[in-house]
Amino acid sequence: MATLEVKDLHVSVKEEKSQTREILKGVNLSMKTGEIHAIMGPNGTGKSTLAQTIMGNSAYHVTQGDILLNGESLLEMPVDERARKGLFLGMQYPAEIKGVTNAEFLRAAINARRPEDDQISVMAFLKELDKNLDLLDMSKEMTERYLNEDFSGGEKKRNEILQLLMIKPSFALLDEIDSGLDIDALQVVAKGVNSMRGDDFGSLIITHYQRLLNYIVPDVVHVMMDGRIVKSGDAELAKKLENEGYAGLRDELGLKVNLVDDNR
Amino acid sequence: MKSAVQDYEAIKTAVRTAANAHGEPQWFVDRRLAAIDAMQELALPEMQRYDFHRWPLMGNVELSFRDSDKHLADGLPKATNQIRFVQVGQTTVAVNLPADLADQGVILTDIFSAFRNHADLAKKYFMTQVTQYNENKLTAYQQAFLNAGIFLYVPKGVEIKQPIEAYLIQDSTVKQAMVSHVLIIAEENSQFSFIQHLTTRGDEANAAHCMVEVVSGTNSHVHFSSVDELGANTYSFLHRRANLANDARFDWAIGIANDQNTLGDITSELIGEGSHSESKVVAITTGKQSNGLNNRVVNRGKHTTANISQRGVLLEKSELVFNGIGNIIHGASGANAEQENRVLMMSHEAHGDANPILLIDEDDVIAGHAASAGQVDQNQLYYLMSRGIDKELAQRLVIRGFLGPVLEEIPLKEVRREMIGVIERKLKDGQHFE
Repeated sequence: MATLEVKDLHVSVKEEKSQTREILKGVNLSMKTGEIHAIMGPNGTGKSTLAQTIMGNSAYHVTQGDILLNGESLLEMPVDERARKGLFLGMQYPAEIKGVTNAEFLRAAINARRPEDDQISVMAFLKELDKNLDLLDMSKEMTERYLNEDFSGGEKKRNEILQLLMIKPSFALLDEIDSGLDIDALQVVAKGVNSMRGDDFGSLIITHYQRLLNYIVPDVVHVMMDGRIVKSGDAELAKKLENEGYAGLRDELGLKVNLVDDNR
Repeated sequence: MKSAVQDYEAIKTAVRTAANAHGEPQWFVDRRLAAIDAMQELALPEMQRYDFHRWPLMGNVELSFRDSDKHLADGLPKATNQIRFVQVGQTTVAVNLPADLADQGVILTDIFSAFRNHADLAKKYFMTQVTQYNENKLTAYQQAFLNAGIFLYVPKGVEIKQPIEAYLIQDSTVKQAMVSHVLIIAEENSQFSFIQHLTTRGDEANAAHCMVEVVSGTNSHVHFSSVDELGANTYSFLHRRANLANDARFDWAIGIANDQNTLGDITSELIGEGSHSESKVVAITTGKQSNGLNNRVVNRGKHTTANISQRGVLLEKSELVFNGIGNIIHGASGANAEQENRVLMMSHEAHGDANPILLIDEDDVIAGHAASAGQVDQNQLYYLMSRGIDKELAQRLVIRGFLGPVLEEIPLKEVRREMIGVIERKLKDGQHFE
């Protein structure tokens, strides 16, 4: 069993004119493999910042607190090392890289986790790839295309899940993996994530909409507002939010938070 | 002043003596001496936005010939049925030309043998048509102090299926400039590809002057590739020029991965109507080296097409300047010239420049350019690294993607693979010191 803990995490970003702005203001979170956690919350509340900071994006500066994977602090660890230790971030806006095929990239990612003298064989790789392509209803042709190059929004998200299935991390942070997907694509993505469920896999799913959670039923739901987790509960909490909105929860908790969505 | 004149007379005398001892025909000895005379008056070539005037390119003004150790050519890829020419320093180690090609009149030989045995062709074409010896100080130096090279003649209508491979190995186990010349004559309707490999053995500080002249005859199809890997103590001047006759197709595919300063000057002169040239260059610089590369196409004939595509990667504190020069001469109606020059800087201390220079003196043409000089995309690196790929490999993948569009269009698979290998080697070296 692996654990991921976020302790009193404060994170700032540098803005123009060398000003800094604090986005996360003391986040606490603890999860184990075998569990699916969802983080919901209004726009601009720090959900993506949390995922990017756990992965190690250098744009985000930890000013206080810690992130621990199996008890070991990640703060001084570069991104690639965190990934090899078992973290995966399914990104909202995956980069496009010309000249490197999807298949070549996947092999490189798998081999990065294996010793030099025990790289994955072509046969074993292709077998695993075929299986996962089938599961995600993706064509083989997708793997010979350049990485995310000229992929549609839906293809990019599927491709993120394909990587997840190939790499098999302990913890997958999925950042708005549902945004921009139609219901068919959403079901495929959910099917991929659900196929990973088990004792050796945990996931932190960040979403703005409850819809995804109909297909990937979470064990724990957290609500984030203004840089903090303000409430945690089970899957029912997500449904309640869908009905009552974030403003209802804010008022119930007596929080003085300005919701971006209020202006709508 | 007097002593300078004495020196110069002494140089001429020494060159005449050395050339005679080398058994060179009188016509060529005379040309050497004329070039030494011309050198006194001529200036170095000008290159826009790039200064190389202090480079030690012409320190060696002594003509001498010596045999190099043939074992310096050890370790070349095995010859499998291929047409190849191997030269170490001034010593020709191997010439493999299938008998059927020789029977058809193909000539592949070292340049000095050509001066003696094919004087009519050599006299007619050596630095008289494609390049003139008195263009500048460096071209004059080339003719005055020439000490190595190849001559290739492909007669009318001869098609050669296999690529012709030339290995030119600079012998820097001794102190001596490499002044090498590749003269290629493609007669009407001939078709072939030529691959040149430049390398250095030994650590002496020597200059390398490597000139290529290509005469592309009417409706000939010639593809020229070069993989340049000169050593860390070699300042080089790479002058490569082709003249295209009517309907000729001539392409350059050049990978520049030398370890010291390099001045490159690549030119296609599209003289004949309907001729077409593609000029592709990839370059990679590391350490503190500086490369200045002119890639010039001149549309002279009507309905000529000339495209330039260059991509360069800079590591560490290196400098790389790409000038893409598109020159359309008055009267070249229907000409087409597109160019793209891009450099990618992997380090904040690197300095790269991509300058499109269009000189158009005709209205009825299509011409365009694209240029960029940028840093590596941090977002791409982050994405790759978030999958566990280490920074060095992530950088190499991004670079490969950047160079891809040029590499992909190199038609010969072997050359493409070799260039990728050379680039990866140099990248690894560069990253090692980061």
